[in-house]
Amino acid sequence: MIWAVIRPESAQNVIGALEQIGISAMTRMHVTGHGKEMGITAGFVRYSEIPKEMLLIVVPDNDVARAVTVIRNAARTSHGGSSDAGTIGDGKIFVTYVEDSYTIRTAEKIPGTVRA
Amino acid sequence: MKKIVAIIRDERIEETKTALEKIGVLGVTFFHVTGRGEQKGRIRSTASRGLLRREPGTRLLMPREQVPENGLPTDPAEQEVEVGFLPKLMLIIVTGDRDVQPIVQAIISANQSGRHGDGKIFISPMVSAIRVRTGEHGDDALS
Repeated sequence: MIWAVIRPESAQNVIGALEQIGISAMTRMHVTGHGKEMGITAGFVRYSEIPKEMLLIVVPDNDVARAVTVIRNAARTSHGGSSDAGTIGDGKIFVTYVEDSYTIRTAEKIPGTVRA
Repeated sequence: MKKIVAIIRDERIEETKTALEKIGVLGVTFFHVTGRGEQKGRIRSTASRGLLRREPGTRLLMPREQVPENGLPTDPAEQEVEVGFLPKLMLIIVTGDRDVQPIVQAIISANQSGRHGDGKIFISPMVSAIRVRTGEHGDDALS
């Protein structure tokens, strides 16, 4: 299972990019959070609950690397430099292991090892 | 210890809660999420009228002016509407290894309608659990 925390404004971009490589099934939720920068400071105010979008995607093992690359490329925002690096706040991608998965409609186990 | 993540229809919350209660599962976390499956969020347009406004970026497979006022296209081929992300319910249950199968069966029987969109269940290993109130670790934190 790929848990991707991304900028809300990148979400459509990421969803479109995943669709292009044939991944259209995903769950999406609005979350708030901050990274090690502890939010952003504007004047005297510190904003530590920054709105983010979280995508959950489950794909077969073989597709994990490709999906992660696609998410990263679509979620990264340029700050003008020529380097590959994005901007602080672009997000994180986590991958966890899924042992079993079921389709409720058919009550059947989905064959093959799946990461969730 | 396992973590069960299930994505179900949001209108099945009561049936699911009852089914889980019946087999003695009391610790469940529910999230309101949006999601779609392999059908890319296509639903029958008769059911879609309330959903069309929900999500920005919603796409109609036919131009809006061609959707009849009653939402019932005459041509069956036109009945599928792509609404993007549909409201779903995600539930997370952390449980001992032995209880996984009864819980999976309970979730399936409470949610199976045989139509696309019933949902998925994912099972992952869970390393540990800690009860915040007492500081208990591992299986003790679940009982």
